[in-house]
Amino acid sequence: MREKILDILCQVCGSEEIRENPDVELYETGLLDSFGTVQLLVAIEEELHMAIPISEIDREMWATPHKIIKFIEERR
Amino acid sequence: MLSQISYWAATHPQRTAFIHREETLTYAELAEQSDALAVWIAQQYPNDRTPIVVYGHKEKEMLVSFLACVKAGHAYIPVDESLPPERIAKIITNAQARLILSPVTLPQSLCYEGIRVLDSQGSYDGRLTDIIKEYRGRRPDPAWEVGDENNYYIIYTSGSTGDPKGVQITLSCLKSFVNWGREAWSIGENMVFLNQAPFSFDLSVMDVYLALSSGSTIWSVDRSMTLNPRELFYWLKQAPLEVWVSTPSFMEMCLLERSFNREMLPTLKTFLFCGEVLTNESVEKLQARFPEARIFNTYGPTEATVAVTSILVNREVLEKFRPLPVGYCKSDCRIMIADEKGEPVPEGVKGEIIIQGASVSPGYFHNPALTQKSFYLVKDREGTRRAYKTGDVGYVKEGLLFYSGRLDFQVKLHGYRIELEDIEKNLRTLPGVNNAVVVPVHKEGKCQYLAGYLVPAPGWENHQELIKNVRKELARKLPEYMIPRKMLVKEHIPITPNGKADRRALLEELNP
Repeated sequence: MREKILDILCQVCGSEEIRENPDVELYETGLLDSFGTVQLLVAIEEELHMAIPISEIDREMWATPHKIIKFIEERR
Repeated sequence: MLSQISYWAATHPQRTAFIHREETLTYAELAEQSDALAVWIAQQYPNDRTPIVVYGHKEKEMLVSFLACVKAGHAYIPVDESLPPERIAKIITNAQARLILSPVTLPQSLCYEGIRVLDSQGSYDGRLTDIIKEYRGRRPDPAWEVGDENNYYIIYTSGSTGDPKGVQITLSCLKSFVNWGREAWSIGENMVFLNQAPFSFDLSVMDVYLALSSGSTIWSVDRSMTLNPRELFYWLKQAPLEVWVSTPSFMEMCLLERSFNREMLPTLKTFLFCGEVLTNESVEKLQARFPEARIFNTYGPTEATVAVTSILVNREVLEKFRPLPVGYCKSDCRIMIADEKGEPVPEGVKGEIIIQGASVSPGYFHNPALTQKSFYLVKDREGTRRAYKTGDVGYVKEGLLFYSGRLDFQVKLHGYRIELEDIEKNLRTLPGVNNAVVVPVHKEGKCQYLAGYLVPAPGWENHQELIKNVRKELARKLPEYMIPRKMLVKEHIPITPNGKADRRALLEELNP
């Protein structure tokens, strides 16, 4: 699961940095922006078959790869 | 324009002109406060028409300041607070501005000699709200107002030279747009408009001036809401929206929320899209969510005042056309499709889209060289009119304009207009970067994100470190949306046989 999410994140953000540093601040560093978030949700739905309503997304909760993984694992 | 707004202030003083979160502004307050500020401006800057920078985001004093400037005879330059100070400094220098008005705090680095600043702190030349209070009740002389052929606003957009360029829009350009839009989209009185775009993006002119001229309400979304969808929907659920004005990208983001439908927004009846390609798929999804709404696709560059073509995308249009047309041209303008020599091509043949007529800007501010490259005058039996070579490629079929791409390296990313060379020139100035090429990554005909290739300077072996540093430094020079999401280090950029960077090869590398 964790690996799959990291794969998706690397693909959306276009950087392998995420795998090396899963505590990187995605929004602060510019690796992810609001439209990247949209692409991320679409990819999660397509590849993990999980529909996360965009209205539940909060930047704080999704700030780092670790936080995203935690959020998704809790929802499964 | 100004007399229409005064009319609403006189006849419906308590009606709401603007809502942003808990903040509201009535027509009476808008009129009174902009009157007060206009008197101060005119007193401080007599016999002066230099443009005034208005810096901030979605504060109600932004609107007050815009109107105060034009009431005092000055064009305004809307600058969003997300723009880095270095970029703003280039705008101030090009415009030779002498005054900055701001409802927020202006960054220290922007206060040079010879420029006065009214902001929220008041540590420079006073506090904006104090001046408005002090001059309350004062009325500007209507003779000061900007005239039809004066600049009403100047919007700075990305330029291929690495510097932003200022598109001058006159009062008559704006009037022509608003008169056409009110009719084309059947805008009545006292409606509620969504304002998604920042004021520095001319899509906002669509909602702001259609609303203010019709005694309607502007309902604003801010940057923090776009960044935090949870916050956005918290506010959207309470919005009595009737007319939706946004980029297609913003609407597509909202579609990801399943409850974004007519139950959430029961009064929403009209969607106006501009700024980038609207796809058949998005319209199909939107129609399913809002079966009774009218959806319009429109097209136009900033240089031709927001939009010059429009079409109602109903079921018939949706089934008949793929890609969707961008519409029919407004009656006081015309579209010409030209070949490389500038000669008109037959119907259905692709060429450069040239726009002529009342919507066309007089050119770029303080930039005759760039103006001459893209603007010219047409003289014929019908008189003289301005023409603008858009650099867009398209064709006309049965009177309908279709957009097919760009002649140069301009891209639209989520509605934002970006010259790739602008990013490259800025990248090349950074430490550790010997050369740089930026390419757009497309999916389904739409730019999804930008990828930047960096050729490192000797001594920069740690590529992660280089990329990190480049991201940080570039953010000081360019707006956030111009920073490539993907950055890659490459020792050599592939070259085409005629010596240019081979963008196609780089793109294929990204999309194998």
